[in-house]
Parts: sequence; C-alpha cells; structure tokens
Amino acid sequence: MATVAQQSKLSSILWPVAAWSIGLIFFFPIFWLVFTSLKTDQDAVNPEHLFFFTPTLDNYTNMTQNYDYWKFAMNSVITSGFATLFALIVGVPAAYAMAFDPSRHTKDILMWMLSTKMLPAAAVLYPMTFLTKNTLGIFDTHFLVILVLCLVNLPIVIWMLFTYFKEIPKEIIEAGKMDGVSTWGEIKDILIPLAWGGIASTALLTFIFCWNEAYWTVRLTTFNASTLSTLIEGNRAPEGLFFGRLSAVSTAAIAPIVVLGWFCQKQLVAGLTFGAVK
Amino acid sequence: MADRTLPRILQTPAVLLLLIWMLVPLSMTLYFSFIRYVLNSSIRPEWTKPALSNWRGFGNYEYVLNAKDFWFAIQNSVFIVASILVLTVVLGLGIAVLVNKSFPGRGIVRVLLISPFFVMPAVNGVLWINMILDPVLGLQGIAVGGLNILIDGLRDFPVLGWFFNLWPQIEPISFRATQTSAYAVIMMVTWQWTPFAVLIFMTSLQSEDESQKEAATLDGASPWSQFINLTVPHLARPIAIVIMIQSIFHLSLYAEIEIVSRGNGNKNLPYLIGEFANNNIGAASATGIFAVILANIIAIFLLRMVGKSLMD
Repeated sequence: MATVAQQSKLSSILWPVAAWSIGLIFFFPIFWLVFTSLKTDQDAVNPEHLFFFTPTLDNYTNMTQNYDYWKFAMNSVITSGFATLFALIVGVPAAYAMAFDPSRHTKDILMWMLSTKMLPAAAVLYPMTFLTKNTLGIFDTHFLVILVLCLVNLPIVIWMLFTYFKEIPKEIIEAGKMDGVSTWGEIKDILIPLAWGGIASTALLTFIFCWNEAYWTVRLTTFNASTLSTLIEGNRAPEGLFFGRLSAVSTAAIAPIVVLGWFCQKQLVAGLTFGAVK
Repeated sequence: MADRTLPRILQTPAVLLLLIWMLVPLSMTLYFSFIRYVLNSSIRPEWTKPALSNWRGFGNYEYVLNAKDFWFAIQNSVFIVASILVLTVVLGLGIAVLVNKSFPGRGIVRVLLISPFFVMPAVNGVLWINMILDPVLGLQGIAVGGLNILIDGLRDFPVLGWFFNLWPQIEPISFRATQTSAYAVIMMVTWQWTPFAVLIFMTSLQSEDESQKEAATLDGASPWSQFINLTVPHLARPIAIVIMIQSIFHLSLYAEIEIVSRGNGNKNLPYLIGEFANNNIGAASATGIFAVILANIIAIFLLRMVGKSLMD
C-alpha cells in the first residue's frame, strides 16, 4: 500500500501543476493579445522589447481616431441586442407551445428548425445580396443585420427555451388554465418568472453568438451597419505594421463578451447541449 | 385539449420566418445555378441580368465539377472539419479528466480554459496569424530566431560544441502557404473549440456513477481500463453532441479562412463560393447547391446519430 500512498502524494502535486499549465497555455494567446496592446507599434515587432518595454495606453486612447472603434462597437451593441430581443419575442411563445401543447409534429418541427442551421450560409450569399440590394433596398442597414442575426439564431433560441420549459411541471401551467388565466397571462405571470434563469442564459448566449457572427455581418454591410467583426476583418491586411494598435482594438472587441462569458459559463453547457448533457 | 388553434398560432411566426429564410434565397440559388449569370461581361452583356433566356441546364454544374478547385475545396473542407473534430474531442477528453479532479484554484483554471470560446472568429484569426504564427514578427519567428542564436552560441562550446555543430539552422514556418494555412486554421479553431468540448465532458463526468468506479477499483481494475470501460461509454452521448454541434459551426467556417488565406489557394467550400461570386454567379450558385447537398448528407447522418437522444 505504500506505493499507492506515494503515488497519490506525487499526483497531488503533479495534478494541479498539469491542470494549471493547461489552463495557462489556453489563456496565453488572449494574454498575449492584451500584452501586445500595451506596446507601441514599434515595440510590438521589436524582439528586444518582447517582454520589457514601457507600457502605454496610447493604442486605446487613439482607437477612435485610428479605427473609429465606437461607431462599430455601437453597431455591435445595437444589432446584437435587438436581434436577441426579437429572437426571444418570437421564440418564447413558440417554445411555450411546443413544450406544453406538443402535437405529433412537434419533434419534426424542432428537427427541421435545427436542420436550417446546417444550411451553409455561403450557398445563399448571392441571392441575399441581390434581394437586399436590388429588390428590398435594405443592404447595409441596421434593420437587415438585426433581422439576419435574429433568423440565424432563432433555431438555437427555440431549442434552448424548449429544453428549459420542458423542465417545468405541466401541472403548474394546467392549474393556471383551470383558474381561467389567459395564455398571455400564463406566459407573463407563470412561465417567465419560473423559467427566468433559462431565458436569461438563452439571451446571453444568443447575444454572444450575434456579437461574434462574422459571415453575414461582413457580407451584408459596407459601412453604416458594420459591426466589430467587419472592423477587425477589414484591418487585418497591414502585416506586422500595426501590431500594437491592432491588438488594442481586438482586445476592445472581445473584452465585453469574454467577461460576459465568464459569468455564464455554467449555463452554457445546458444551453449548448440542449439539455442532453447533465 | 382538442383545440389546437392556439399552440399553432404561437408557433406560426417562428415557423414562417424560418421557412421564408430558408426557401426564398435557396430557390433563387437553385434558379441561378441553371442559367448563365455573370456580374461583368463586355462580350455578352445579356448574361449580366438573370433571365430564363440564358438557360444553361446543368452547364454550371459541369463547369464546377471540372474545376480542379472544387475537388480541392471539398477535400480541404472535410480535412479541416475532421481534423478539428478529432483534435477537440481527444484534447477535450484529456483536459476534462485532468480538470475534473479538485485541486487548488480549480475555479480560476476553469475560467482561463473557457475564455478562448468567447473570442470572436475575426480576432482569433488576426491574433494567431499575426502575433503568434508570423514567421518573422510573430512569437514563432522570434522564438525560432532566439533558438538559432542560442545554438550558434553553443557551437563554440569546448566539449559539446561538435554536437551542436550537427544541428542545422531552424527555419520558421510560414503559415500563409496553401497547405500550412490549413494547419493554421485547424490550430486556431481547435484552440477556440477545445474549451467547449472540455466544458461539456466535464459536466458529464460529474454525473458519472462513482460507486461503480469504486467497485471496479476493488476488483483490481486499472485506472486505464476503468477509463476505457466505464468513463468512455458514459461519455458516448456528450461526444456525439460535441461532434454534431461543431459540425454545424465548422462546415460554414469562413472568417478564419478569409483572414489566413486570402488568395493563397487554401480554401473550403464557402470560400470557393465567395470567390466564384465575385463574377460568375451561375457557378457560385451551382457550388452552393453542392454545399447544401454535402451539408444535408452530414446533417441526416448526425441527426440520426444524436437526434433521438436530444428529444428524451
């Protein structure tokens, strides 16, 4: 038994070391991005100043001037926020009906919704450009970006809400019906308070997906409604020239979402696996 | 409960919106794939407007099938997605087991680990290809340069010098060539999605039956055989789900490829469609239809595999 004890003593030291190393390795690129953002553009590409340099916040204070950061950030906030809101407005009633009044088609409808998510966006790229530019004239508007982000995430929103709503005992909703509560009243006074946590994590996750979306937001805007994804993709070209300022604007683009993510990482699992992993 | 009107009304907006979103652009793609349709043509200006009189039948499909880029793009799409899936599942399993045990600072390690998942794809691409992988100015270039200087210094060492003289100069790898940039994309997406796999596997590990494991230990089963015979079967469903969700996201991988490989030949199907769409809409649409077919094959396969377990 001595060997087992020794083994466990050794592993009680090695195990945390290994786990911490893995955590630090995975976080390192993000750390490096923030670290580089504190260097001037010259220092950022100078090996002599790899670790030792005079930190400066100039890259952040000049961000408005260099990249017009706030305009793109505001667009990201507006489009992601409203897309999330609309997806919930459409998704909550649908998921409510599916969870508490399922018909024999409910399963098929849910599966079909998920399958729309698998359609490659690129396949409909040109028709979307054509429709929005020539037919509807809504190309490069906030309205279009909100609409598309909402539609892209709707299947996931409904799936997540459906999973959360299913956990609520049917009897509670039925009891409301007996008492003559209207459907709207049921949703507002019974469902939403009970499923508040689930709805909030659905909203958070949808907001994160909208914020990070980089296909439609880049392809369906040119300037007016462009989000942070477009800003970063558009500024990748000068190789090595502006590592400092590019790092600063990238840090500013991901910081809100990464911090938001830290707070909702627990709910993330239930949400992303549609409750199938517990 | 005979009245089905209300539930239907509540579902209608969602179903209708998704139906329009799916059908309208897709039927246009289908139509464009059967006609000659280009954005600019000085010789045949009539082809610049979509019209039935420019009917081409399966001509666009033939054209696409004969383009060598097409097969390369399909191969590359599958290669990139498959590599990412294998890497994230294997790494995810290992790290999940590692982090599942309790140790000091576990909460912080969890936060550090999950962070890459929230980084937007555009930043992911910019960060990796410039600050980390650039052969001259990135960390890779600087590390290789430093290593070469170190080896050069060691060559003059009295006794061991001959040994280091055998070492060649190390060349940094450029990740902007066709093949290597596919590796760069795999690397950055694996970095981003391994945390996702870890998180899901960890959640599942916590629900594992501990008494079963204790019994196995008493019966003298080694930790490895416990892992293979108890833990891996328990993780079968989460593995299937990780594969399904990642496939949904990675088949339409775009931002990373766009940033890493602009014009260097590395492409997947979405990127090839974008290239065609610069002028030849007919070919872009035909490629789009092929992408839809490929996605459907994979979707049917995946939904069969995990769809049932999602509904329970």
